[in-house]
Amino acid sequence: MDAAVDFSSPVSTGTTIIGVTYNGGVVLGADSRTSTGMYVANRASDKITQLTDNVYICRSGSAADTQIISDYVRYYLDQHTIQLGQPATVKVAANLVRLIAYNNKNMLQAGMIVGGWDKYEGGKIYGVPLGGTLIEQPFSIGGSGSTYLYGFFDKEWKEGMTQQEAEELVVKAVSLAIARDGASGGVVRTVTINSEGATRNFYPGDSLPLWHEELEPQNSLLDILASAPQPMDA
Amino acid sequence: MDGPPKGGFSFDLCRRNEMLVKKGLKGPSFLKTGTTIVGLVFKDGVILGADTRATEGPIVADKNCEKIHYIAPNIYCCGAGTAADTEAVTDMVSSQLTLHRYHTRRESRVVTALTLLKSHLFSYQGYVSAALVLGGVDVTGPHLHTIYPHGSTDTLPFATMGSGSLAAMAVFESKYREGLTEEEGVKLVAEAIRSGIFNDLGSGSNVDICVLTKSGKKYLRNYEMPNPRTYVSEKGYSFTKKTEVLMTKITPLREKVEVIEGGDAMEE
Amino acid sequence: MTIQQASFSPYDNNGGTCVAVAGADYCVIAADTRMSTGYNVLTRDYSKIRQLADKSVLASSGFQADVRALQKVLEARHLTYQHQHNKQMSCPAMAQLLSNTLYYKRFFPYYAFNVLAGLDQEGKGCVFTYDAVGSYERTGYSAQGSGSTLIMPFLDNQLKSPSPLLLPAQDAVTPLSESEAVDLVKTCFASATERDIYTGDKLEILVLNAQGIRREYMELRKD
Repeated sequence: MDAAVDFSSPVSTGTTIIGVTYNGGVVLGADSRTSTGMYVANRASDKITQLTDNVYICRSGSAADTQIISDYVRYYLDQHTIQLGQPATVKVAANLVRLIAYNNKNMLQAGMIVGGWDKYEGGKIYGVPLGGTLIEQPFSIGGSGSTYLYGFFDKEWKEGMTQQEAEELVVKAVSLAIARDGASGGVVRTVTINSEGATRNFYPGDSLPLWHEELEPQNSLLDILASAPQPMDA
Repeated sequence: MDGPPKGGFSFDLCRRNEMLVKKGLKGPSFLKTGTTIVGLVFKDGVILGADTRATEGPIVADKNCEKIHYIAPNIYCCGAGTAADTEAVTDMVSSQLTLHRYHTRRESRVVTALTLLKSHLFSYQGYVSAALVLGGVDVTGPHLHTIYPHGSTDTLPFATMGSGSLAAMAVFESKYREGLTEEEGVKLVAEAIRSGIFNDLGSGSNVDICVLTKSGKKYLRNYEMPNPRTYVSEKGYSFTKKTEVLMTKITPLREKVEVIEGGDAMEE
Repeated sequence: MTIQQASFSPYDNNGGTCVAVAGADYCVIAADTRMSTGYNVLTRDYSKIRQLADKSVLASSGFQADVRALQKVLEARHLTYQHQHNKQMSCPAMAQLLSNTLYYKRFFPYYAFNVLAGLDQEGKGCVFTYDAVGSYERTGYSAQGSGSTLIMPFLDNQLKSPSPLLLPAQDAVTPLSESEAVDLVKTCFASATERDIYTGDKLEILVLNAQGIRREYMELRKD
């Protein structure tokens, strides 16, 4: 079989994922590319999964593993919410993710960012990297595209940003990573969570800023040929 | 672990087989449906499509097999990968959903089938090699999903799987749009499957299509047959020559036994 | 950590099937025109048959690059032969040349499976069949390539040839007429195409007889 499309190899989300806190909540961001080797298996995937009304999770690593973890955590949190009679906190959600990631670390290939808002601690971002560590962070980046973003975030992230500033930062960061990382691509999806609830946004590939000498995205080779000068024109 | 087995697969011989392979033994080959399977969402529902070739290495094992499996009256599923696995996994889920319907007296939902399939595949960590395109219409509307052997799933407006998936996806990416009519949808699915049949050697023979709408299903078995045999000899060929029988001699196994009527009655 | 090492793999298999049948005063040689690698079709119209001399034709499947290299060597050797002897090479001579050329690369073989067919000095049909390193045999019919395992038993059944060990040696040519042989070859390929994924698209048939050489084509399944 073609080495490029080996369906027996696991589907992995070579990814860019981001979580950022701002003065009233958090913004989560992700690209939308899912690949199997060289092949883009899904160009519009949603890597920001809902856990509860006020907590979401960004997934990177094996798609199968992170989906099953999210399913379990969502199930536990649903029960927890009923027993408690009030929404689960971000800390509880993140701790459940950590628990599963840590206890099954031999079986799993999963790097995740949990983000949300609760009435006790406000907006919170937790990183849960490969081995099942839990780290509370002001911002967190993950996936293969994150390597291109460390310097950018060290410079650009600031304490007490507004919602708009934070969302613009996330979109800018994901589009930078998409431009450099072959395993990231497609559209930028964001989820903004604060005391008002959660709002989803998405930014199509052709609306993203172009970096350095990047070329305009094209739908078809015919579009490129149509705009090129005709060699035989007088 | 002691005690009788409690169902599931037996992995008893895995270590032995691993050793034999290392020593150079070739294991038996499986029927791999080097396949093109596709699905798309149209205005009133979902359309699934598949080719009908099953291969065993370079040999065509079945020229007209069925790859669109029944899951529930309103849900069907295309399978690629090892034929036995796709068959078994869809049958299992189909049976679980039937019982679930008797229990709840409600129509099955596509997400239920999706969850059952993915949790089974995930628990076997990719060893059950079934790559599926699941489609159906339920009370919440039309749904289309892809499921990979490791248990990951995607939700898409159009999907392809199998060795011919790239050929078929090329057709979808250039021609799919939202709100297709049934007629347009069937035409596009057939074109995608044909693209797989002709450009991928693992796929071939005929086009099967299944249209699922709120009002019911249409299973169009062999919707197109674009590959008839190209030559049949006028005179035909016979295979009369057979191994010659040189001698016939029958040797009885032992002396004939005479049975006498009216012997002693059988002892109690 | 898995141990990694650079590896060089000089061969590919481009599939395809070749068949030849020899008659008393003719010879039929045929091959499909599909060239493929893995599950991909590279082209649907590539000829595997090459005429090397007036009365000898070579059909080869296997690895196209090696097949092409082999054909060029044979063509060059035949040109030299013509300059030295001022005549065309006979089919049995070409057969020996092909064997020598293959064996010359015994430890880095041409990945090519050949059937050489033509007419001998008496005008009788002849077929020579080879392995990759030059072992060859004159037969009445032969099949080589990806569909050979499907075709050979059928030919054996229809054209049972006398054992080559018989004394005195018996003629290997088949008893069929020319049109019957062409019909048989067409049936072989139509059937092999049904079950072998590497055979298909089109069939190219060459017929050699006293009148000269004739070429015809037949469509095959394209899936």
